Amino acid sequence: MKSLEFFRNISIGQYIGTDSWFHGLKPAAKYVIVLGLTVLAIAAPSPVGAALSIMVAFLVALGSRIKLSFLLRSVKPVLPVILLTAVLQFLFAWPGDNSSVLLRAGIFSVTVYEVWLVVMILLKATAMIIIVGWFTSVTTESDIARGIEDILRPFDSKYFPVHRLALAVSTSIRFIPIVAGELEEIVKAQASRGADFGAGKKNVFALARGYLPLFVPVMVRSLERAEILAEAMEARCYTGVGQTQPPKTPRRRGDVAFLVSFVALIVLVLIGDKLEFSTWIRPF
Amino acid sequence: MPNTQPALIELHTVSFTYPEASSPAIKNISLKIFKGEYIAIVGNNGSGKSTLVRLFNGLRLPNEGAVLVDGLDPSLRANLYKVRQRVALVFQSPVDQIVSSCVEEDVAFGPANLGLPLPEIERRVSNALAIVGLENERARPTRALSGGQQQKLAIAGALAMEPSCIVFDEATSMLDPASKSNVLDLMDKLTAAGMTIVHVTHDMEDAARAGRIIALDHGGVAFDGVPEVFFADAADGMSRALQLGLGNPQAAEAARLFGLEIQVNETPEGLATRLRETGFFVASCDNGYSGSEAVVSETESAGEIADRAAETSDQAALADTDIVHVGASAVPSNGGKQWAFEYRNVAFSYLRGTANEVNALSDLNLKLPAGVRIAFVGTTGSGKSTALQLLDALLIPGTGEVASQGRLTTDPKADLRAIRTSAPLAIQRPESALFEVHAADDVAFGPRNQGLSGKALVERVSRWMDTVGLPYSNYRDRLSRELSGGEKRKLALAGVLAMESSAILLDEPTSNLDPASQKSIFEIVKALSSEERTIVFATHSMEEAAQAHFVAVFSAGRLVDFGPPAEIFYDRYSPSWGIGLPYTVRLTRALIKAGVSIQDKPLSLEDLRDALQKYIAQTHHVHASQDVVCEGGEA
Repeated sequence: MKSLEFFRNISIGQYIGTDSWFHGLKPAAKYVIVLGLTVLAIAAPSPVGAALSIMVAFLVALGSRIKLSFLLRSVKPVLPVILLTAVLQFLFAWPGDNSSVLLRAGIFSVTVYEVWLVVMILLKATAMIIIVGWFTSVTTESDIARGIEDILRPFDSKYFPVHRLALAVSTSIRFIPIVAGELEEIVKAQASRGADFGAGKKNVFALARGYLPLFVPVMVRSLERAEILAEAMEARCYTGVGQTQPPKTPRRRGDVAFLVSFVALIVLVLIGDKLEFSTWIRPF
Repeated sequence: MPNTQPALIELHTVSFTYPEASSPAIKNISLKIFKGEYIAIVGNNGSGKSTLVRLFNGLRLPNEGAVLVDGLDPSLRANLYKVRQRVALVFQSPVDQIVSSCVEEDVAFGPANLGLPLPEIERRVSNALAIVGLENERARPTRALSGGQQQKLAIAGALAMEPSCIVFDEATSMLDPASKSNVLDLMDKLTAAGMTIVHVTHDMEDAARAGRIIALDHGGVAFDGVPEVFFADAADGMSRALQLGLGNPQAAEAARLFGLEIQVNETPEGLATRLRETGFFVASCDNGYSGSEAVVSETESAGEIADRAAETSDQAALADTDIVHVGASAVPSNGGKQWAFEYRNVAFSYLRGTANEVNALSDLNLKLPAGVRIAFVGTTGSGKSTALQLLDALLIPGTGEVASQGRLTTDPKADLRAIRTSAPLAIQRPESALFEVHAADDVAFGPRNQGLSGKALVERVSRWMDTVGLPYSNYRDRLSRELSGGEKRKLALAGVLAMESSAILLDEPTSNLDPASQKSIFEIVKALSSEERTIVFATHSMEEAAQAHFVAVFSAGRLVDFGPPAEIFYDRYSPSWGIGLPYTVRLTRALIKAGVSIQDKPLSLEDLRDALQKYIAQTHHVHASQDVVCEGGEA
């Protein structure tokens, strides 16, 4: 039996304050790590690259003293979406797919290439969730905004207001747990009145039908809260321009060396994956 | 005498209508607010209070008329931020107005927006945090603060703007009694320092603390004057506050009940002294008891009064339910009746197994009898909401077990849906979970899930809409979102009641409502109580808790006491619980301290009046006997 506790399965948006070396990195440096791992996960042409991105993300998480189980928790809620995508891969034939057929049922068939694609999707999605989860676990909302500002400052202009963009991103991340909390409240309200949430029914369609009525109240409650926050910011003279900049985070010895090595590693892995890894294991 | 100094805020025939609204939220209001004033703005839900204060700092701009703040018109772009710097606003929900994840950064948000140099921001942040008493929390994450601390942080954020006026928009309504008291004390402190304070509130006790009250009704000013006049009886025997459906502070109600002149902000000790001084309880050898005619019917004997008191006492209905109080565990003997709920060695943590794990409840052992009203009280974060959700199987204990009407929620084979529907929970602010377009459809959600349809469903929905005061014939096709705040709460309550379950769980059923709606909702809750239905509700109102049959007190995730309210509030109350006492209990304690021997433990002013009548009658009896002795001696 499990409690209706949505936030327990969401690692994204939960800052975990430890005094690890990674926590002390400048926000912009953390963005570089996220960007590097994301590129590795997305651009990797084989599951090896994607698996490597997960491995590196795990190592970074260990170095940040963030539990791997905590990061993996977030995979569970999105598993139905990943599985649905997998089913779609199997349902439709891919043009030019000449790989051997593993299973055939009427007009549907499962090929080696399709299995390959599904594994790629699973690994890449897992990698992305872990990477973003790690990032928000070691970066405060303020630093998330500060990092964006630091990186994009050269492009700041009237038409590209970097500070506003940074605040929008950090506020959006801050709203993840808020929306999860609202969803949980409303699910509880409806479960109390006989809706099937966490009460044992596994039918996907019944589950989807159960979640449909949540959409309106969750949106309404989230918008209400967003409006309150917007009013609170306006009341404190927020205009998006002319703010005093906070003091800069001091750069530590070794930060730059680490970043250069890290980026080099990512590039090497990508090149290696492109040239060799995939041919080693590609079964078709 | 009219105030001749220039006004800080001036409204000249101001009207405001929200886009797409059919009627104006503010109608033709003219008023002046002067520097250093402490003003309470009161009114029912939808009367325009929040809109009015947003006109003060340019968050809303009038459609008609003009607003001037320190002579500046906020409708001019160049003035807008000068006005907002002068009139700061603290909102209702502590967590929703926090912008940053770190305490000092959040306080610095406003000054940074003003473009002030870093040393000046640093000075303002330090100063503001020192005023609200959060200087030691400076580097902490904002989410690690309690609800009360978060509201203090919001006040610090306002103070850092160095405004002339701070508007508190129902800023104490979501706080527990202890935190609320802290914030109110802070308002007094700021007023003493010369700050203008505007407090929008539903609580007449809080309003009475102000020097001036502005009451709104349907967008217009219905009263503007001192509290003494607002709460004083008018020619029809009702105060202006009562006429507007806002109620009187408890001190004023008590003074009224005992026929004394109303003195706003009078402490229970003050009223007790006045009661003694006016001679209500002073018996005389010569003429019986002087002054007591005002409260004692001449035709009633002391015995009759005692009988009536016993009949009307809620506790009489529980004559067969005795409590054995065992430290933090409570095991009432219920005369062989079935227990409605039982916690056995229960512990629960949120985010269990994660780095952010928060312990919410520990070592909870408690049996709740069936067919009674039980109040869960405690400060914010004390564990009462968690305890409610464990009863409904919305949360499953980490250790221990919960029996919900005979069924273990931890049993892997348990039908959670059946457990939940047999004890449905109305969450906090349940009206915001309304999702059907039409009112009747929302109420029908639960019964439909129970398998009802057609005529039976209509009959069920109709019955409960009628019961909560939303007649089915008038309200069934009304749009849920267009109902008033009180009506929405009633509709959400009807949705839970329509389950026709043997138990109902209510999480702060009257919070954030105006006094009339609060009263109406709680009357419904009380009327639902029956031998067949158990009601468990969490509340911050000790007046409501006093009307329960049992009170469970939670503190820091533990049950610290359980028993009938009379025992909890009279015999075992501890200030460390942070829950406060019902007014009647405070007054009774003051009377006892003043030498009035009250044997009963009254929980309402009416019960106190009866107890005093008994006391007077007994005193009279003693003096009458002494008269006989005196006369016999003389003879």
